[in-house]
Amino acid sequence: MSENATSLPSEQPSLTDACAAQFSNLKAGFEAKGGGIQFLRLHSAHVDSVIRALYATLISPQVDAPEGLCLVAAGGYGREELFPFSDLDLYFVARDEPAWKPYREPIAEMARTLWDLQMRVSHSTRTIEECGRLHSGNLEFSVSLLDVRYLAGDLALFERLRSQTILNLIVRDGNDLVRNLIDITSERHAKHGKTIFHLEPDVKEAPGGLRDYHVARWLARIGAISENRRWIGPEGAMFDGQKPTNIPGQTLQAQQAFEFLSTVRCFLHFQQGRNDNLLTYELHEKAAALGLGVNYGESVGPAQWMRNYYRHVRSIQHITTHAIGDSLPSRSSLYGLFQDWRSRLSNPDFSVLRGKIYPRSLAPGGWTTLLSLFEMMARHSLELSREAERWADQSLDALRAPANEGSGDSILSAEVWPALRRLLALPGTADALRAMHRLGVLAELIPGFRLIDALVIRDFYHRYTVDEHSFMTIQTLCELRRAAKETDGRADENFGAWRRKFAEICAELEQPELLTLALILHDTGKGMPGKDHTIGSLEVAKSVCARLGIYSADEETVAFLIGRHLEMSATVTRRDIFDTETLRSFATKTATPERLKMLCLLTCADINAVNPEALTPWKAEMLWQLYAMTANYFSRSVDQDRLQPADEAVAISGAALAARGDPTRLKAFLDGFPRRYLAAHSPSEIGEHFEWAQKIAQRPVQVKVRRRGAFNEITVMATDRPFLFASVAGTLAAWGMNILKVEALANRSGLVLDVFRFHDLHRTLEMNPSEIQRLEESVVDVLSGAKNVATMMKGRVNPNSLLGAKVKIPTQVSFDDASSSRCTILEVIAQDRPGLLYRVSATLAELACNIEVALIETEAQKAVDIFYLTRQSAKIDHSFQRVIRDALLERLAKP
Amino acid sequence: MKKLEAIIQTSRLNPVKEALQEIGVDGMTVSEVRGHGRQKGHTEVYRGNEYTVDLLPKIKIEIFLPDQLVDSAVQSILKTAKTGKIGDGKIFIYKVDEAIRIRNEERGDAAL
Repeated sequence: MSENATSLPSEQPSLTDACAAQFSNLKAGFEAKGGGIQFLRLHSAHVDSVIRALYATLISPQVDAPEGLCLVAAGGYGREELFPFSDLDLYFVARDEPAWKPYREPIAEMARTLWDLQMRVSHSTRTIEECGRLHSGNLEFSVSLLDVRYLAGDLALFERLRSQTILNLIVRDGNDLVRNLIDITSERHAKHGKTIFHLEPDVKEAPGGLRDYHVARWLARIGAISENRRWIGPEGAMFDGQKPTNIPGQTLQAQQAFEFLSTVRCFLHFQQGRNDNLLTYELHEKAAALGLGVNYGESVGPAQWMRNYYRHVRSIQHITTHAIGDSLPSRSSLYGLFQDWRSRLSNPDFSVLRGKIYPRSLAPGGWTTLLSLFEMMARHSLELSREAERWADQSLDALRAPANEGSGDSILSAEVWPALRRLLALPGTADALRAMHRLGVLAELIPGFRLIDALVIRDFYHRYTVDEHSFMTIQTLCELRRAAKETDGRADENFGAWRRKFAEICAELEQPELLTLALILHDTGKGMPGKDHTIGSLEVAKSVCARLGIYSADEETVAFLIGRHLEMSATVTRRDIFDTETLRSFATKTATPERLKMLCLLTCADINAVNPEALTPWKAEMLWQLYAMTANYFSRSVDQDRLQPADEAVAISGAALAARGDPTRLKAFLDGFPRRYLAAHSPSEIGEHFEWAQKIAQRPVQVKVRRRGAFNEITVMATDRPFLFASVAGTLAAWGMNILKVEALANRSGLVLDVFRFHDLHRTLEMNPSEIQRLEESVVDVLSGAKNVATMMKGRVNPNSLLGAKVKIPTQVSFDDASSSRCTILEVIAQDRPGLLYRVSATLAELACNIEVALIETEAQKAVDIFYLTRQSAKIDHSFQRVIRDALLERLAKP
Repeated sequence: MKKLEAIIQTSRLNPVKEALQEIGVDGMTVSEVRGHGRQKGHTEVYRGNEYTVDLLPKIKIEIFLPDQLVDSAVQSILKTAKTGKIGDGKIFIYKVDEAIRIRNEERGDAAL
């Protein structure tokens, strides 16, 4: 430093003082008015004057000399956007090497002097030829040339640089430049979690930050220069200026956002005394107290100020996404071919062109069409075109009109929920919901979601706003759904090897859309200050379910998931999960295996969405262990926990079903059913079963087939008899039905209730509704002895040919004598195939085993069959267990 | 000056933390760890797949203390981490030569 000081010209001390004084004046001006853009312009002009003065002293007293060398400002300084304490990019551009060599020492002297004046100069000397080459290893240099500005020296050389060298570079290498720019933008976004909703964001580098604004500007300018083959300055090519589909409001909003963020960045740099762009909690508060970028001098709440921040950032993200999308098709012909192939996805309402969805009609659509737009986006991972966004906006305006007359929570028409549920369990659900939120569709459907729009809740763990956290949970589910289809079983960086196991649970869900709905709503209560957020979220869920007309059993599931959304995480971290009492208590709270699966995934997604490091392999393992042990507890304890007439649960059901008949008879009907019967069936189903039981003397076999979403379900009630279970399983197999899940239960008086869920492989029932009655009659005939199931099965083709076995699952037969006091538990795991359950159950019946309870599950191609068996009203001894094992292995080995 | 390292049950973290705060221990480092002592773990079967839970999840707490606080910290941990079952964990105590606060280079107990 002292060496540099001795080399400064004699007037340098006064220049140092003058610079410091001028910087202080500019800072005071900013602090008085809070105008970022004004500061940037004045700061750049001040630095210009210092640099020109030094140029005159050290290089040439004549401003446009020497010939063959010029000084240009580039990057942010070139744009006259010089932030306090930021780097200033200076290039000495020479016609050729001999032109700048005599100035090597004065250039170095100038750089040193600027450093001593506290200016963070980043300078380099380049020949004009070097400027004309694309530097793929130093993309920043090529991009910074887009913002060059003349400062001093050979003006004709500068004109040549801009209007020939850089112009030719863009025309020749524009595609490569765009591709590199998009790649590094994408890497930068990934580094910041691809979301704008950080609680402590980096105002420059995070998605929607200042860097994104410039990326949009650069892409627009590269496109405009390539197209027009002439130099176009920053003012001449705004984001959508060249596009016929330009939405002027979006450009204006983005400019306002740029002004806001510029003010915030100036503020951050002044506060920190350095180039630090992190908007910390402490600085939110200071900025909000000043009303920075809003109404300067008028204090606002930090949460409100941050909402304003996210609104601005969202508009920059929007134009950047479109700018990138507009530039993408030129990337490669292969990519273009893939995008063109996706045009086949077009339908009567929307067409797909180069990966984007366009509306076919300009007329506003109703809820079903509007939701089908987002379903298409979620199903095929497509993006919305500007036209689709505008159409959605207009459709929403039209839909709001009648609703404005009533309350915002008014009941929606019956087709809305089926249309919404279709889009809630698809590969791109999270992105579709984000788009719905951005366009106001989600808040219109679910008014309670407005409560958490860009809501900041401060704690040490959460990294995102509450709304984005909710979307992150859903994104975790989408990723698990994708992982379930992968075959490599790779480990995820945060889930570890447990990712695969959660993915398997995810693939088994019967109603994944209810889990997604619960995740959308689970934290909405955080928008109600002073209230336990779970209670607030339950209130929102109740009104949303009423508004969407959601079936009461589904509403209960959603309410269960929201009400218990912290339970599993609390059990894992605050209880000893290896303790039987903890397990029993947790199992009682979750009630059914299906709810356990949903709660496990909800917890996994909720933790993972807190921040990228939150779900450590350690936590994931604990969570999975609690899940597996509880699932085992369910299948092993079903026999132990049977309903008694004096049970409170029976009394509650009795009160709910008082209108269905005599309460004493109802108690007798429920007596002896496993407790899970009440949790697994809705009150109306139990009421129906009860009514069947009253008529069992007149109709000894009662059967009903129902459609349940993508599956069918057959409920059979009969008095216990040999071969009952095998007969129903055999009849379904003979009809070509693939059994997925069964619950076979009996009460104390020997009344058997079997519920089979099956997949109609040939769509027989769907194509011929009259066949439903014939199937019901067929089951009655078999159970009453009028038809023989073995004969029916003989006519079947080889069932193995119906399903292609992608994974080979060896048959396993095991017994458990310890878990039930009355029965021996048999577990059969085998390759799923039509007729499998018939073979197993018929073998058991032939060996005179009585099936007390059966719990049958199918995971992909693996059948997991659990039977609670007795023989001659007692447990099965070890020697006979061997007989059963041998018989089953032999029968299942046959083709 | 001592370093106190305690391996405890995951479910006991909050009570231990609160008890230590009560006696004036504010700073601590907490890690999620796996391991086993005499409690060797067990084998579970989930849907036909056997998995061994041999390394059990535990919490490791590390605290650096002035000598006079060590006994009361040990008592606090013993009182709150004990369930009486196998697997309650262990406490280890080490001698520490020096502590330096990076920000202002304070040394010794003042840096704790």
